[in-house]
Amino acid sequence: MREFYRKRGSVVRWENGTLVRVTESGVAIEEDGVFTCHPERREGPPAYEDTRVIEVARTIESMIEPPLRIERLIVSDGFAEHEFDGRTWRDETSRVHCSIVNGRIRALVDSTAGRLDDIPRIAVSLARAEQHEREPPPRLRVAPNVTAALLPSLAGLAPPNVELLQTAGGIDGKGMPVEEASADWPNSYRPSYRIRPVRMPLNLRLRCDVTEIEPDRPLAVALLAPLDGLTMHVLVDDGRRAFPATVRVTRIDAVAHEAVWYPYGGGSFGGEMML
Amino acid sequence: MTDQTADGRRRRAEELQLPPSAIRHPPSAFRSATRDELWFHGRLVESRLSHGEAIHDERGITATDARDDALVERCEREIERMRQSIPKDARVRLIANASTGEDSATMTIGMRGLSIVTSPEHVMRDSELLRGIAAIEPEGGAIEVRGVPIVWRNGSAAVLLHEAIGHAMEHDHEPLEWPSWLDAGVSLRMRRATFRDVPLRRMTEVVARQSGAPFDVASPHIDVLLVAGGAYEPLSETVTLRVAAADYDGRRLLPFEIRATRAEVARAITGAEGEPIRYPGVVCSREGQELVVGSVAPVMLTVFR
Repeated sequence: MREFYRKRGSVVRWENGTLVRVTESGVAIEEDGVFTCHPERREGPPAYEDTRVIEVARTIESMIEPPLRIERLIVSDGFAEHEFDGRTWRDETSRVHCSIVNGRIRALVDSTAGRLDDIPRIAVSLARAEQHEREPPPRLRVAPNVTAALLPSLAGLAPPNVELLQTAGGIDGKGMPVEEASADWPNSYRPSYRIRPVRMPLNLRLRCDVTEIEPDRPLAVALLAPLDGLTMHVLVDDGRRAFPATVRVTRIDAVAHEAVWYPYGGGSFGGEMML
Repeated sequence: MTDQTADGRRRRAEELQLPPSAIRHPPSAFRSATRDELWFHGRLVESRLSHGEAIHDERGITATDARDDALVERCEREIERMRQSIPKDARVRLIANASTGEDSATMTIGMRGLSIVTSPEHVMRDSELLRGIAAIEPEGGAIEVRGVPIVWRNGSAAVLLHEAIGHAMEHDHEPLEWPSWLDAGVSLRMRRATFRDVPLRRMTEVVARQSGAPFDVASPHIDVLLVAGGAYEPLSETVTLRVAAADYDGRRLLPFEIRATRAEVARAITGAEGEPIRYPGVVCSREGQELVVGSVAPVMLTVFR
C-alpha cells in the first residue's frame, strides 16, 4: 500500500535576535515499509506575517531585568496546509521557547505566543533564587507549565490514582479526528513531512478524583532542566525563599480541573498538581 | 555624518523596526542539498531529499526550498558512493550534504547499542573497530572512576577536548592553562546545519598533538574505547562525557558518565603518547543543529580527583 502526504507551509521565527522566514512544500511517501520524502515544486504558500513574532519577542525581553538575562529566545508563528488520503486540513502553530538565567541557574519556558503569563511569575522567583540545591519539600504544588512537561513521561507510568488521557479535538498527522483515549493511542503525530508519522498520545491531560489544591504548599514554578524520566529538576518557591531541587514523581495527590495547553510532545494540558 | 535625505530618513525609520542584531551588510546567499538514508541490515528504510536557499540580509533570513540542481547532483553522487560500502550487519545512516559552505559525507554505523560516525574512506576500518568493541559484553558492577587513571584510546580524548576547550571557545569563555606539552588546535567558523537555520560560530575540527608528554600509566586503569556523547554546560562550565565502552582490570565496564568542570579536566590531563589518532565520530549538536566535527587526539591519560 502506498500512502502520500503533502504539506506546504510558512513559518516566521525569531531566534535570538535573528528573524527567519521559511517557506516550504513537500511530499512524503510510505510504501512497503520504506519512507521517502522530498520537496515538491508547486506554488509556495504566502509568507507568514512577522509582526506578532517581533512583538512577542520584544514583550518577553521587556519582562526580564537584571540580575536575570535571557540566554535563548525563540518565538515562532506559522501555518501549514496538509493533504493525506483525500483529506485536506490546515493548522496554525505558535511557539515560544525561552531560557532565563540567574547565575548558574537556567529556567526553561515553553509556551505559545498567546500565553506569556508564566514568564513574569518565573522571573520573580528566579531573581531571588539561591544558587545551591536544597532537598525538595515533602509536599509540593507543581505549576501548570511544569505539569505539562511531565505528562508525556507519564504515559504507561502514571500512578494508579490518576488517569492519563488523550483529549478529543483537532486533527492528527493523517487527517483523522483526535479522539479521547487512554491507551492504544489511535492517532498519529507528524510534526514535519520529513518525519515518519508515529502513533502517540496527543493533547494529554491528567485526571484525578481529587482536584482540591492546597494553596500554602511550596510551588515548583519552573523546570531548570529537561525532564529525566519522572525526575524533575525544578525551581521551588516556598514564599520565603526560592531554590533549585530535584523531585522524583512517585505519587500525585491531586490535579486541578483547570488546565492550559503547552507544546510538549504531541501537546499537553498542564493543570496545577499536588505531590 | 548622517543621511538627512528623505530616502535616508525612511531607511532609518525602517531600521528601527529591525531586530537588534540585524546584520548590516549586503545580502548573502546560502544554498544546500542533503540526501539522507537509513539502512537496516542492508535494507533501505528511509530516504530523504532536502534542498533550499537562505538569503541573509539586514532584515534576517528568508529561506525557501529552492533547488540547485548542481548541489543535488553532488550529494546524489556522494550518497551512491556511500551505498557501495554499507556494512550489512548494522544500522546505518548515510548523510550526503553539498552546500555553498561545505560538502560532507557521513556514515553513522550502529551495532548492539554502540555507534560510530565515519566516512566512505574509513568505513571498513572503523566498522571493524566497532565490531570488535561490540563483541564484548559488559560484566560486573560500576566502579568509582575518581582517582582511577583513565587512558583515552582510539582518539577518544578528542571528545574530551571538544567539550572542554572547543565549546568553551564557542562561548567565548576565558582560556585556561593546559599542559605545556599539549597542542589542542580548535578550528571555528560560522556554520549551519540546514538552510532553515541561523548560522552559529561552531567547531569544524579539534586536532590535539603532544610533544614530549609524560605517559606513566598505573594499573589497574580504565581504557576508554568509545564515547557515546558529551555536553558542555556554559553556565557552570561543566563537561559531561558518556563513555559507551571501556575496559577495566580485564573486564568490559557498563557505560558510565564523567562530569567535571573544564578546570578539573585541565588538571586531570596528566600524560599522552604517540601520534594523533582520528576518532570515529563526533556529531555535535547545539541549538538543535547537528554538525560533524573532525576529532583527532593521541592516546591520553587523565586522573580525575
